[in-house]
Amino acid sequence: MTNPVKNMQRAIADYKQMNAKDQKRYLTDMVLNNALYILMAIFVIYTAIKQPNFLTLGSFANLITQVAAYLPLALGIAGCIVLTGTDLSAGRVVGLTAAIAGVFMQKADFANKMFQNLPEITLGWILATMLIVVLIGAMIGLVNGFFVAKFSLHPFIVTLSTQLITYGIILWFFALNGNNGQPISGLSREYKDFVGGAMFRLGGVAVPRYVLYAIILTVVMWFIWNKTTFGKNMFAVGSNAEAAKVSGVNVFMTTVLVHTLAGAMYGYAGFIEGVRAGSVAASTGLNAECDAIAACVIGGVSFVGGTGKISGIILGVFVLRIIFVALTMLGVDSSSLYIIKGAIILCACALDMRKYLVKK
Amino acid sequence: MKKLVAVGLASAMALSLTACGAKEQPAATTAAAAATEAATEAAKEEVKDDAKVVVFWYDESDVFLGFVRDAMNKEFEALGITPDNQFAANNQSTQIDQINTAIAGGADILVVNQVTSGASDTAEDILAAAGDIPVVFFNRPIGVDGSETPVLTENNTVAFIGTDAPEAGHMQGEMIGEYVVANFDAIDINKDGKISYAMMKGDEANVEAIYRTQYGLEDANAVIEAAGKPALVYFDAANTDCYQVDQGGAWSAAAAKEYMDTNFVSYNEANGNMIELVICNNDGMAEGVIASLQEKGYNTGDGHVVPVFGVDATDNAKALIADGAMTGTIKQDDKGMAAAVANTAKAILEGATPAEALASLNDDRFSIDAEINTKMYVAFAPYTGE
Amino acid sequence: MEQNTLLKMVGITKTFPGVKALDGVNFEVKRGTVHALMGENGAGKSTLMKCLFGMYAKDGGQIYLEGNEINFKNSKEALDNGVAMVHQELNQALKRNVMDNIWLGRYPTIAGITVNEKKMYQDTMAIFKELDIDVDPYKIMSTMPVSQRQMVEIAKAVSYNSKVIVFDEPTSSLTEEEVEHLFKIINMLRDRGVGIIYISHKMAEIKRISDYITVMRDGKWVATERAEDLEMQDIIRLMVGRELTNQFPPKTNTPGEVYLKVEGITGMYNQLKEVSFEAKRGEIVGLAGLDASGRTETLESIFGIRTRKEGKIFLDGKQCLNRNAQESIKNGFALLTEERRATGIFGVLDIKANTVISSLKRHKRFGIFLSEKSQREDTQYYIDAMRTKTPSQETKIRTLSGGNQQKVIIGRWLLTEPEVLLLDEPTRGIDVGAKYEIYQLILDLANKGKTVLMVSSEMPELLGVCDRIVVMSGGRVAGEVDARNTTQEEIMTLAAKYV
Repeated sequence: MTNPVKNMQRAIADYKQMNAKDQKRYLTDMVLNNALYILMAIFVIYTAIKQPNFLTLGSFANLITQVAAYLPLALGIAGCIVLTGTDLSAGRVVGLTAAIAGVFMQKADFANKMFQNLPEITLGWILATMLIVVLIGAMIGLVNGFFVAKFSLHPFIVTLSTQLITYGIILWFFALNGNNGQPISGLSREYKDFVGGAMFRLGGVAVPRYVLYAIILTVVMWFIWNKTTFGKNMFAVGSNAEAAKVSGVNVFMTTVLVHTLAGAMYGYAGFIEGVRAGSVAASTGLNAECDAIAACVIGGVSFVGGTGKISGIILGVFVLRIIFVALTMLGVDSSSLYIIKGAIILCACALDMRKYLVKK
Repeated sequence: MKKLVAVGLASAMALSLTACGAKEQPAATTAAAAATEAATEAAKEEVKDDAKVVVFWYDESDVFLGFVRDAMNKEFEALGITPDNQFAANNQSTQIDQINTAIAGGADILVVNQVTSGASDTAEDILAAAGDIPVVFFNRPIGVDGSETPVLTENNTVAFIGTDAPEAGHMQGEMIGEYVVANFDAIDINKDGKISYAMMKGDEANVEAIYRTQYGLEDANAVIEAAGKPALVYFDAANTDCYQVDQGGAWSAAAAKEYMDTNFVSYNEANGNMIELVICNNDGMAEGVIASLQEKGYNTGDGHVVPVFGVDATDNAKALIADGAMTGTIKQDDKGMAAAVANTAKAILEGATPAEALASLNDDRFSIDAEINTKMYVAFAPYTGE
Repeated sequence: MEQNTLLKMVGITKTFPGVKALDGVNFEVKRGTVHALMGENGAGKSTLMKCLFGMYAKDGGQIYLEGNEINFKNSKEALDNGVAMVHQELNQALKRNVMDNIWLGRYPTIAGITVNEKKMYQDTMAIFKELDIDVDPYKIMSTMPVSQRQMVEIAKAVSYNSKVIVFDEPTSSLTEEEVEHLFKIINMLRDRGVGIIYISHKMAEIKRISDYITVMRDGKWVATERAEDLEMQDIIRLMVGRELTNQFPPKTNTPGEVYLKVEGITGMYNQLKEVSFEAKRGEIVGLAGLDASGRTETLESIFGIRTRKEGKIFLDGKQCLNRNAQESIKNGFALLTEERRATGIFGVLDIKANTVISSLKRHKRFGIFLSEKSQREDTQYYIDAMRTKTPSQETKIRTLSGGNQQKVIIGRWLLTEPEVLLLDEPTRGIDVGAKYEIYQLILDLANKGKTVLMVSSEMPELLGVCDRIVVMSGGRVAGEVDARNTTQEEIMTLAAKYV
């Protein structure tokens, strides 16, 4: 079994046995394999020195709140990447489901309420709305998965198409009932509390409920990935679809389900997104998939297929959010932010790919 | 080899990190220097030396706001403050994250150009997050049809400096109407007694865009019909929206040019159904339209000029008007907007309430709302050349 | 140094963290000879070759080519200096045509800009004529059988005027006829003074083709002898370090009543035509035939991963539809595929995931939850039962040797508790010692009453392991022979029946 202390002892023992040349190679390997952590540590220390507010409880609360907001999307998209695919429709699905949830959750007395005859905002209706938008997300995922699996189309093409189609539906939806494309506002207090209500405060900063939901989702996803037939099949299909087929794995169903599950996660992300932004606009969710894919890739969910861990995805989201928070606090302009983000993604992928290239 | 690449990448990253650090240095030094200067020059200044002003912009690439930003940076500098500019890439969630992070980082005042214009809920959320930290919203409206009123009246840490959203539309419409009445026959290329127009909308959901699209046409027609002429006719009878919108919501010249290029394929002089007038929500889109027209030989100085109208009076638009390629625009006062925001922020930092801060400006470019004393408008003016 | 020594490797050492892969190996190839390099998997043959081609940097030792010390950095440099390799797993641009592959990286050009297709064609044809290869230079690689692709690879080596050519398991996917052609080419190259390094597990071939034999074991040089001085038993003894008296375990199974019945299988998209045969409980039935005779297609059709136009499958008198792999597994079938890397292993996954993937329902608890403990137990059981050499269950399968990978996959199938095992080339690319273990395993299964269908291109293997052999030819069953009293000649005659 994996015992960290024993592993460490064994590693040290191994290291002592090596000759000087091997020791050097071993150390270089170790530095390169952990380069991301080392750089993040340097980065965090630098930021903390420059901006002492960075290492406060309030700042930490702000960080985990952001992580909780970005995590569900990354968890969903990761499955698609494990299958060597991708999902470009994620952001727009978030936009659509956020809009639908927003409309369902508008205050009864709000002047610009889009649909008048909706049920009163009760806990039951909030939960029903969540279920509805999760199902809508899952439906779009199902369409993605079906076309990928049935016609062997590359997910890039399929999800690019659904991305456009979904955006069309979003624009159409925003023009309904004389809304004329205006943002969906007037979200009810109950809905806002359910999603973003403060659970407790850290250093004076409220930690919203969706942090708890993100933790629950992470546990559920970990379980699905590691403890279910579906999870095992997903890794098998991602690793070698032909072999999986011969081994009796239903490749079609697995592919469809992975995309459907991803869609469901986008639906959930849409459900919280409206509350986070305070309102929903047609552009809500735009490009959200980019950050999600980047987080997965940084966290070692490789496009090679068949590899990835939930812990890696969490790490990836943390890395991206730390960069964002730190650079914002340092007052670095956004052009540098993009450059640094891009450099880190490139670097993380190159280091990740190293693992697959050596010893060939 | 692979190792080399990896090491290279890693060091590049480390470098870029230090580079950011290095960049931080001069800014801090300037701030300190400016602060010292301010302290010696005017000892009565009560603003904290290290007052931290964070300005949140909805997007970095908006042309008009680029002018506002330049002017605002200068205004702030003159007041001894170095603002920290943040850009949300047209994503409200990103902006919320930036605001929360700035609050955690100890900001003293938040100056917000809200991404989702017209969303009063979002404004409420920002105020809730800010707590005691004052917030000055500017440029993009924070409500529709009066939904911003409670936000501005029920909190005592907020001010809004913007334009009266419908005003630009009304003004543009009036200008177009008057121009058409005076030049009806020259504009009517195919001599069918009607003028067909195209409308470029900047963003499907933006209230300013919505008002400009609505009043730019309605008011023009009101003037034209009052003069006994037929109303403007949308060039494409099949399009019941009667506008074409930048799908990216970026009010961009590129989107406008693409639309016009496409329109001219079926609607041109040879077919006898040429588009005879173009109304644009902003000058950026007007530029795109003019670029497309010029490729077809119009608006070049010696050929026929299809009148194009915009809003903002950007430097480019002014130049185009001077060249005769563009007909008119509405001057949105970038410097006035910048001065209003910077001075209000400073007054608030010195301890004034938002309402007091707005009242203290006392400048005829600005007018405080008749009912809400925390809401101030920066005036528009028609512009057809100097 | 002797005048006719072409390549000399002295004291080559290579260490991987924790393993000494090569320990002072000496190896010498003379001009105009075929030098066989033998050893079990993991003995260091491949590592030695990779050091020669610069794919690994050697830790110690020297390499001389015609007396000059060399140190290639990559296989391209080796190729330019006249050292070529024909790989076991061909690395070719499959979507491109034959001549594109041969001249890849050094296309003849006109004025340095456009590729001179005409010259490329003529040069290709000249080499093909010289080697007596009958392949259209314009043919797309992926449309050709492995044997022809290999010929292209050889032609490429020749086109570089190679002085040393390494053949790595060249015959593992060739039929007898194709092997004959290959040997003709090798002899021709030898007569032209080329030094040939020949890596193979097949004793009979080695004895036939080589002049010298070098045996390696555990990363060390063991012996170099003239081929005629070594008997097969000697070679095996040198390789395994002990006496291997029998190549095949004694046959102990006794076939029972008819269990599997295949009736008139005709393929929808392949050459199969009315394939019918029977197999008994506890019987090992071999499928023999030339390449493209339809052996693999027969197994895959039975398993339902190839579409049948007609034909029925009966188990114990009851019809099985076997429309896809899931259904076949449910009906008690298991298929070990021919292409282990392409359709067998999940390379980036660990031993455990590779073992349990087909039998996940065994580990289900409460309907959804997969028990970690029972997965570990099953995996450990088969690691022990098959004596799979692996550091742990968490080891990625692609780091294991071919034989050990095969054991893991067999374990995967045994966990589905199959009644009928369809084995396609179960010992391909596996060393002698491991082969014996796999034969023993097949016999054990038959002893337990399982029905085994086995495809193999190695005739002695079929004769040594099977009870009965169904010979296929041109997609049809050409005849059946009793393995105990048939000869290779009889099988070959049948195999040529419909060609």
